[in-house]
Amino acid sequence: MLLSISWRNIWRHPARSGVLMMAIIAGLWAGILVTALTNGWIHQRFVNLIQEEITHVQIHHPEFLTEREPWMYIESSDEIFSTLSRDQRVLSWSARTLSDAMIQSPLTSSGVQVRGVQTDKERATTTFHENLTGGDYLDIDLRNPVLLGERLAEKLNVEIGNRIVLTFQDLNNEITSGSFTISGLFRTASNPYDERNVFVRTEDLQALLGGGEVYHEIAMMLQDEELSNAVAMDLNSEFEHIAAETWYELSPELRYITDAGGSLIVYIMAVILLALAFGILNTMLMAIFERMRELGMLLAIGMSKLRVFVMIMLESVILTFTGAAGGLLLAWLTLGYLGEKGIDMTAMGGDSMAEFGYDAVVYPIAYTNDYIMTIILVVITALLAAIYPAIKALRLNPGEVVRE
Amino acid sequence: MAIITTQNLSKIYNPDTIPVHALRDVSLEFEEGEFTTVRGPSGSGKTTLLNMIGGLDIPSEGHVEIDGTRITGMKDRELINFRLNNIGFVFQAYNLIPVFTAYENVSFIMLLQKREKAEMKERAKELLSAMGLSEKFDSRPKQLSGGEQQRVAVARALASRPKFILADEPTANLDTDSAMNLLDMMEKMNKDENVTFIFSTHDQRVIDRARRVITMVDGAIHKDERKSPPSKGESELSE
Ligand SMILES: Nc1ncnc2c1ncn2[C@@H]1O[C@H](COP(=O)(O)OP(=O)(O)OP(=O)(O)O)[C@@H](O)[C@H]1O
Ligand SMILES: [Mg+2]
Repeated sequence: MLLSISWRNIWRHPARSGVLMMAIIAGLWAGILVTALTNGWIHQRFVNLIQEEITHVQIHHPEFLTEREPWMYIESSDEIFSTLSRDQRVLSWSARTLSDAMIQSPLTSSGVQVRGVQTDKERATTTFHENLTGGDYLDIDLRNPVLLGERLAEKLNVEIGNRIVLTFQDLNNEITSGSFTISGLFRTASNPYDERNVFVRTEDLQALLGGGEVYHEIAMMLQDEELSNAVAMDLNSEFEHIAAETWYELSPELRYITDAGGSLIVYIMAVILLALAFGILNTMLMAIFERMRELGMLLAIGMSKLRVFVMIMLESVILTFTGAAGGLLLAWLTLGYLGEKGIDMTAMGGDSMAEFGYDAVVYPIAYTNDYIMTIILVVITALLAAIYPAIKALRLNPGEVVRE
Repeated sequence: MAIITTQNLSKIYNPDTIPVHALRDVSLEFEEGEFTTVRGPSGSGKTTLLNMIGGLDIPSEGHVEIDGTRITGMKDRELINFRLNNIGFVFQAYNLIPVFTAYENVSFIMLLQKREKAEMKERAKELLSAMGLSEKFDSRPKQLSGGEQQRVAVARALASRPKFILADEPTANLDTDSAMNLLDMMEKMNKDENVTFIFSTHDQRVIDRARRVITMVDGAIHKDERKSPPSKGESELSE
């Protein structure tokens, strides 16, 4: 019965309630869209970083990441390999030999990180090879092939087929260098990355380091990202002198965008809901003021204050909820369309986003949780915004109100 | 025993600024089955008196007892509940919930009383029919004439099975025919079901229908007259 009064009261002023509903629809639609765009962006960057290089879990010598000394390689790597091969949760893994180096072309030189990869395993584990824009991957029949980022090649003024020299410290702290032939060029979503990383075969790098089969990094993709913590923990307890870490621990960038992305959504929604709260407050105050006599009559004939309060609250919640449902539905339909097609951000400066490693075409993603959270927040907002008008109604003195 | 007793009721509005003595030392008793009108010039305290009896306003002095229960000093919540179950109200206007039909308006009060669904349905229909509104169950207040609206209000007041019905100028917004028609209905309920009515009015023809006439002047009871046999026309009560 209360529900029925509240619902009908909303439609006493179809225009007024309609305008508020439209505002709620538009607000939530925009909010969800921006949220989904952010989600999509984060997700794409996340997938890029995870799949191209970082993977779910990596193993290093415990101090390698901070000290980066060549001798800080992973001990007992063979046993780790066989453990990984047996673990059902691990989809694939690839070991890498890493070294900081100077790269020299006939013209100039630059500091880079050399990544010695197991060509087959790397291909099976990461998608890095898809970033090749010219030439061949490292598995071609060539002595000492190297892959350079397009940007670096430009900077060094070299092209495919040219030779460059890599100079670095070997395991005995001796300076050593080797000559490599550029077999291919690559381009990732991140320009800084392209300038700082070169790829060679792990065995070529190992030969120069002079320590046999040494690996500084083992990267693995799991069946599911959510297994990361468990797998890292198991590895850490099984092997000594290693540090297995998840992508969350490894990549400050991923950590930042996943954490900040979550709170950005909250901020966007907070702003929209704050604006809505004033709209609801205004509408409800108007509804109460014009109905003073009627509410006084209800209190006079014996409707309890609690019931009057609930009736007003319900009115606000139903009004808002109806708008919210409309907004979510519209957003859902829009996203169904855009989710497949993506939004091309090039026109809005998407090119410059590549500087930071973001794709120009974004595929928005809305999580069910976001919808649910939005609904909950909207209902809370509707309740909060209606409290003041409802309390005003309860302060009515029926004896006064019923006097003509 | 009297169904309503007011003991030395006084009401002073704005005691701190410009005090208005709306009621002065009013002591009255009402018996079950009475059909009483409260008359008097504008500002004489009719509404104030009815509001005191109905527990809608709090006296400055004195108290009100209904069927042995003292309602003066009751807590807000208690009083609302008491009103719901003991007193029927008909106001001059704004009696009905505009978004409800006549039938729903009458059922509503029984719903507040948590009555049985079946009883509720039957009683609402019965009362509306008794009020001559059998064709208007599904009409909303806006689709009803002023007189019809007031009859729905009387049906609503009766629906809760109150001890008595208070009606503050129920006919003030009605034309003469509608006013007399409303009075007919009230009188019928009074005679057939012994429902106690107390209503205020300015209208001489309405006053003529009452069997007890209380005249107020300046917040005090000026006259309190009973017509013993309910015969018409005999009116020595002109101002
Ligand atoms: N809330 C209030 N504050 C101050 N004075 C009030 C208030 N309510 C009523 N009064 C005064 O109390 C007196 C009695 O008012 P009341 O409404 O009871 O008269 P009434 O007989 O019903 O008049 P009417 O025939 O015009 O309805 C009047 O002088 C009125 O101005
Ligand atoms: Mg009055």
